[in-house]
Amino acid sequence: MSSTPQLLFKNRTPGKTLLFKEYCQTGGYQALAKALKTMAPAEIVQLVKASGLRGRGGAGFSTGLKWSFFPSDKPAPKYLVCNCDEMEPGTYKDGELLAADPHQLVEGMILSAYALQADVGYIFIRYAYDRQLRNLQQAVAEAENAGYLGKNILGSGFDLEIHLHSSAGRYILGEETALLNGLEGKRPNPRLKPPFPAERGLFGRPTTVNNVETIANIPHIVNGGAEWFKGLARNLEGAGTKLFGLSGHLNITECFELPVGIPLREVVELHGGGVWKKHKFKACLPGGASTPFLTAEHMDIPLDFDTLAAVGSRFGTAGVTVFDDRTCMVAVTLNLLKFFARESCGWCTPCRDGLPLVCWLLEKIEKGAGTRDDLAMLKQQQRHISGRSFCALADGAMGPLDGLLRLFEQEVIDHIEKGHCPF
Amino acid sequence: MKKLLLKKQIDTFRSKAQKLEHPREMIIDLLRAIQDHHGWVPDEGVELAADILGIAPIEVEEIATFYDKIYRRPVGRFTIHICDSICCWTRGGEEIAAHLQTQLKIKLGQTTADGLFTLLPTCCLGGCGRAPSMMIGRRFHGNLTCDELDRIIAELREETGG
Amino acid sequence: MPTLTIDNQTVTVAEGASVLDAAIALGIVVPHFCYHHALGAVGACRQCAVTILEGKQKGLKMSCLVAAEDGMVVSSGDAESVAFRRQVSEWLMTNHPHDCPVCDEGGECQLQEMTIGAGHGIRRYQGNKKTYINQDLGPFVMQEMNRCIQCYRCVRTYKDYCGGRDFGVLGAQQRIFFGRFKDGPLESDFSGNLIDFCPTGVFTDRTNRFKTRYWDLQQAPSICPHCSLGCSTLPGGRYQELQRVRAGGNRLTNDSFICDRARFGSDWNNHPQRPREARIAGERVEFSTALEQLEARLHKLVEEYGAGALRLLGSSRASFEVNLLLKRLAEKFGAPPPYYDAHPRRGFAARVAASIPSGQLASLKQLRGSDLILVVGVDPLAEAPVLALALRQAARSGARIVVLDPRPVELPCDFEHHPLTQETLLWSLSAPEEHELFETLRQQLEASQRPVLVAGGDLLGGEGLRLLLRLSESCCAAHDCLIFPVLHGPNSFGGGLLGEAGDSQRNLLEDIENGQVRALICVENDPALEHSEPGRMQLALSRIELLAVFDHLPTNTVAAADIFLPTRTLYECGGTFINNEGRMQRFEPVLEPGLPLAVTGGGDHPPRQFEKTAPGSAPRSAVHLLQWLLKDRQNLLGLWRQIIKEIPCLRDLDRLEAGDSGRRIADCEDKLEESRLEIWAHEGELQVLPITARYGSDHYSRLSHNLASRIERPCIWIHSVEAAERGFVDGQQVVLRTASGHFHLPLQFKATMARGRLMVPCLSGTPLEVFTPGGLSLPCQLYAEGDHG
Repeated sequence: MSSTPQLLFKNRTPGKTLLFKEYCQTGGYQALAKALKTMAPAEIVQLVKASGLRGRGGAGFSTGLKWSFFPSDKPAPKYLVCNCDEMEPGTYKDGELLAADPHQLVEGMILSAYALQADVGYIFIRYAYDRQLRNLQQAVAEAENAGYLGKNILGSGFDLEIHLHSSAGRYILGEETALLNGLEGKRPNPRLKPPFPAERGLFGRPTTVNNVETIANIPHIVNGGAEWFKGLARNLEGAGTKLFGLSGHLNITECFELPVGIPLREVVELHGGGVWKKHKFKACLPGGASTPFLTAEHMDIPLDFDTLAAVGSRFGTAGVTVFDDRTCMVAVTLNLLKFFARESCGWCTPCRDGLPLVCWLLEKIEKGAGTRDDLAMLKQQQRHISGRSFCALADGAMGPLDGLLRLFEQEVIDHIEKGHCPF
Repeated sequence: MKKLLLKKQIDTFRSKAQKLEHPREMIIDLLRAIQDHHGWVPDEGVELAADILGIAPIEVEEIATFYDKIYRRPVGRFTIHICDSICCWTRGGEEIAAHLQTQLKIKLGQTTADGLFTLLPTCCLGGCGRAPSMMIGRRFHGNLTCDELDRIIAELREETGG
Repeated sequence: MPTLTIDNQTVTVAEGASVLDAAIALGIVVPHFCYHHALGAVGACRQCAVTILEGKQKGLKMSCLVAAEDGMVVSSGDAESVAFRRQVSEWLMTNHPHDCPVCDEGGECQLQEMTIGAGHGIRRYQGNKKTYINQDLGPFVMQEMNRCIQCYRCVRTYKDYCGGRDFGVLGAQQRIFFGRFKDGPLESDFSGNLIDFCPTGVFTDRTNRFKTRYWDLQQAPSICPHCSLGCSTLPGGRYQELQRVRAGGNRLTNDSFICDRARFGSDWNNHPQRPREARIAGERVEFSTALEQLEARLHKLVEEYGAGALRLLGSSRASFEVNLLLKRLAEKFGAPPPYYDAHPRRGFAARVAASIPSGQLASLKQLRGSDLILVVGVDPLAEAPVLALALRQAARSGARIVVLDPRPVELPCDFEHHPLTQETLLWSLSAPEEHELFETLRQQLEASQRPVLVAGGDLLGGEGLRLLLRLSESCCAAHDCLIFPVLHGPNSFGGGLLGEAGDSQRNLLEDIENGQVRALICVENDPALEHSEPGRMQLALSRIELLAVFDHLPTNTVAAADIFLPTRTLYECGGTFINNEGRMQRFEPVLEPGLPLAVTGGGDHPPRQFEKTAPGSAPRSAVHLLQWLLKDRQNLLGLWRQIIKEIPCLRDLDRLEAGDSGRRIADCEDKLEESRLEIWAHEGELQVLPITARYGSDHYSRLSHNLASRIERPCIWIHSVEAAERGFVDGQQVVLRTASGHFHLPLQFKATMARGRLMVPCLSGTPLEVFTPGGLSLPCQLYAEGDHG
């Protein structure tokens, strides 16, 4: 259907998992062999930096730049941690990737660890991804058997072991420092930064945490080169392809690998098959539950980090959740806020106590019992929580509330004036 | 009472704890193993985990009570985690949850009288493309309809000879 | 040292200080909860927001997390930070039950103050509040979780700072619970700090529940009398009853923490058997009668038998002023100088400690900052609990802690323990170069940056302290190796300063037994309990013609007194203690003496008969009693000035103020007698070492009703392997045979104590009270019950 070059999904067959042999047959582990034989670790870091790859976990920080902060020269142990917590509603791309082709991640881990000179890798997998866990267990075992993991990999002198950690729920573990605490068996509250994980991460050692999709891109970048990767994007500023997980009121709710910079319209109308039941498009979350809504007026903007930031939203994880014109945006926001309130770790006040207060206000308004004062209070909450919580969780929760108050204030007022939900 | 863990498993965990520099990192594995074996984690399970890891029970409890997929109270044979996050909500998640409650004659958070089913709301299961969805035990079920639900429940009932 | 401006006021603060520290230094109130100087900043409550106008990071920031920078300009009163702080306060209060009228914290609640300070008045949230089921945490601490604002201070206090292992934080999101795994008494010896550190009424003092509002309390800064560390405290009383003790703040000593013995053990002050009336031969008399008769009889005795027949005994729990006046009294009568400890070996240890040059003594603060601490002959949790906290803080910052002690020492931190017997320790210290372990340790001390030697006076004695001093001098080439002597009473050091050379050679007990002593004045001391041979001493006391006792505790010595004069406790008069590191610290009277209203009015109503004096108010300060005998009535200030003239090393004595951080004595000239190591080698024989128990061994905690539940049952400790070799089982009833008698007690196995030794915790009120800590091991035999003969 699409002419987009497929990297991450090139071997995907729905319902099937690519095994070691098949992965190798499609060119798997060749990037690893090439890198270990011909590239110095710093060269890979440089390559990734030049490729323009930005973190696929949602924050969109330059991966190469992040890697360049890593103190590769420090003594072992140094850790590379892969974040597969993926619990933000609307985000399911990493799960799809690992269900189809887990070796990409393993190869990416080895390459990344080599680039960073990390000697231990952890893959942190969310509770719900049981199949993905089993896939990875098999993939890691196969890679070990093939000599891609362990001591002196492919005669390069580089050692790496990979451990898998299956979690037990809680969205907060997607926050990298909370994840590290979780891995250590401590309460997964986020840590104070500085020190940053690169300096003192897992077990107090230098650590880099990267998202599944980010790491899975590395073999492709090593194979294809930085310019090629950059050129995959639809816009000049962007780089590479992106896994878009479509959900909500669309005819097709699947995960696609599409170029960065693709306009929203193309995603919704072409790949998503248009809004379901012949309804109209009202709004969408462009990149997961924490990204402020886009509306019909944003249909033609390219989906990328900077362009979305410019219109007050975020590219996030590119999990696009679409809402049709029959949807009450107060109810949507309430649902999202309930999620964030429930997943707060309970450490800081704005998140622990502020989010439930926001839920209470939204619930009151949604029920038709809200007042103008409540609206004012809601705005106040949004102003005070945004950017003022300990970690990004509560800040992210303000994304949809910000969208609601900015784009759908009239809808809120309608609830208040009519005394009931107009939908 | 069902045993917390097999002797063999306990021995494996103990010897692993001896070898690891930071035995605490096994805490989730251990709690999940106890839960898989015993159905849920009773106080004795927390104490066993603490003993294996060489830490105080409260230090295990601090972790066990943090995660929502560690059950510190008895659950039914099948725990149904019904997703209530946004993508499932857009595609009838609330109706599915209501239907389940009617069919099982319990509310969210409760267990059926026959001890078969516990119904728990959960946040996003990562199956947003196949909404509405739920997880029974570790098994994911997507694209749910009321009929599909009835079929799954009936199947499980049958499986247990109920 | 950055200089910054907050609200148009400029302040210079230490490198690394936060903006909040700077604001506090300026006296600007920025509401905060999770921050505490001793616990650090964690950024959880988000209450301390200010606006940074000039600095690396601009805008609204948490002041506890932003380091003060040079040239920084900060506003705490701008509209945005004020609005945000008000909002935080509203969030914190959404679930608070507003039960201040029935909350013991009311009036001294940081939450009340900060809520008002943050400007939050009306709660807009009208939904349901969450509620908790509370836990029973034992007799000391009451829990009311509904009041909790989740600042995490409790868990940071109990677990992180104090090292408790039975308290934690449970749950997530808005369902956070702070407590134990199951109901039950808190196990830490520092559990009471939860009460001070909780900014609201989640953890309150159960021993003082529903008794008094903070503003009704009489309070004054004081010094804890339960051991030699001199922790700063803030006791409070009402209606003649000492009701509670909180930690004071002295950054040089205990910082903001005290142990449970100090906090909950102060009710000895209200002991129902406390002697409050003057007595002659057991009969109640007027105070003046007793004093006059005492004076007359003293003169007569001295005339008759010479001044050598009069002896005076001061004490480690009496103030420095009292002990000094006692010395004057001895001089007035021409009697030998007073003893300052009933226990000769302890007295000598105190004198050695007091002779260590002031600059070589470590403070608790220096201990917390040390990188290698060698603890020799001290069981911190028993002898000086807050020392254990200091060791933990050092360990948390990476210090290595090495303990050399025969006891099964426990500490709230990682440490290496070498369970050497007392004899081995002393022998090795006398020639450390010959012992590999000691030589290695010596080298490590030499190589470390800030080493400290902690030395136990009780176990090592004066000779041992001297040997340690020698060790410290042998490894201080590159860096000072400081000494932290641990003594046993709050003023042991002060007694040591006043004690005269040759003291230990004069044996009070033998002199009494020889009939050389006709009169003994005993001031706030109980030789019948505290002498190294209490039984023998008690017998001897009964043979003295005139036993005059000034005290406030119901002791055997008081019961044996011919003339008894009740004294005020430290909570009822001012004075000075000199702690184990030579720090002079002042305490002030908290309340007047008198029978608690709870006694006279049955807790209900003041007494209905009217007298000029309050019931039980007769006790006078021992200072006054001695001054009466000396015919030298002057105020304390005059006395201090006089002391300074006589003892130059106390030059700062008149500049002390209660509640300040105290002042170190200056170096004194060494006037110590020669001594030699007195070790009795008992090859192959079993010996028993009497030791200090965590609760019930010091002068005061044994009289505390509150602490009763913490006092162990009498038993005999034995090394598990030793016991197995001798065929004993844990808990077995045995017979211990010693020169002091036979004891039928259960055995208790201890895996980490020295081999070849038994240990008995000295617990008064039990058969084991015939033993006193502070001595050497005693020969003994051990049999299974029914097996001896």
